[in-house]
Amino acid sequence: MTEPSQTLTGNPGPGLLGDALKTTFEALFAGVVNAAFGVAMRLTRNQADAEDLVQEAAFLAYRGFGSFETGTNFRAWFLKILTNCYYSKRRKEKSRPVTSDLDDTPDLYLYARSGQAGFPTQGPDPAEELFERLGTERIVAAMARLPDEYRVVATLYFMEDLTYEEIAQTLECPVGTVRSRLHRSRKMLQKALWQVAEENGIVRADPQQADA
Amino acid sequence: MTQLNRTNCEEAFRRLDDFLDRRLTPEEMKIIEEHLHICGWCAREFNFEASVLNGVKRKLRQLQAPADLLSKVLSELRAEDERP
Repeated sequence: MTEPSQTLTGNPGPGLLGDALKTTFEALFAGVVNAAFGVAMRLTRNQADAEDLVQEAAFLAYRGFGSFETGTNFRAWFLKILTNCYYSKRRKEKSRPVTSDLDDTPDLYLYARSGQAGFPTQGPDPAEELFERLGTERIVAAMARLPDEYRVVATLYFMEDLTYEEIAQTLECPVGTVRSRLHRSRKMLQKALWQVAEENGIVRADPQQADA
Repeated sequence: MTQLNRTNCEEAFRRLDDFLDRRLTPEEMKIIEEHLHICGWCAREFNFEASVLNGVKRKLRQLQAPADLLSKVLSELRAEDERP
């Protein structure tokens, strides 16, 4: 039988932590700030909003630090707060119809297109050349094209290497939902990457394949 | 899981994501690996998909938070603490 999880004590009131807890929180937060910002950037798509999101999540985490269970994963706990913050902000925005031309992406999209365009499809790291030519910023731009619910799952997967179970826990949804969204988001991302590559002249646009 | 052989690439492909994420049982992983060993087409496709996943992860993780973000957040938290 596992021992009951312990929560941190010593929170003397709302918004306040004792000195020891404050120091502990600051040290833990310092260890996740890069990851939190990276995830926030993928979610919000711009630096100012990403910084605001990290700030807001830090406030909530700080206030709720008394309920953090010692010995559990602070990073996962913080990212859960951060993604909840993001969803909360999104709900306040006008609802936007989600339509995506990425929905119908066939399997092995990049493999097929790379082969047609003369990029490597075999070797130790066959997609490396395409990714080097794309560069981080354009890959970020491709991620930004994914519909929200897919982008959030993909962000946690690609940025943080969380397991399906950890992503499900973070987003408070079933593991099966994570699995299916991740599967679709991978396919969508492949098409988005190719679109970005075409738009930036990295590969030649093929009008016959535009709707593939 | 049914036994995989040269003729059921479709069965292997259906497990591509789970294989790459190592979400199969050791026995299932071994069966897929054996299939990839004998099927060049599947091996190329699986290898390419693994390369795509690793490429996206590698690139997306290069971003660093602005140098002053940590100090900004911590000073805001301390200011919050001092509010009556």
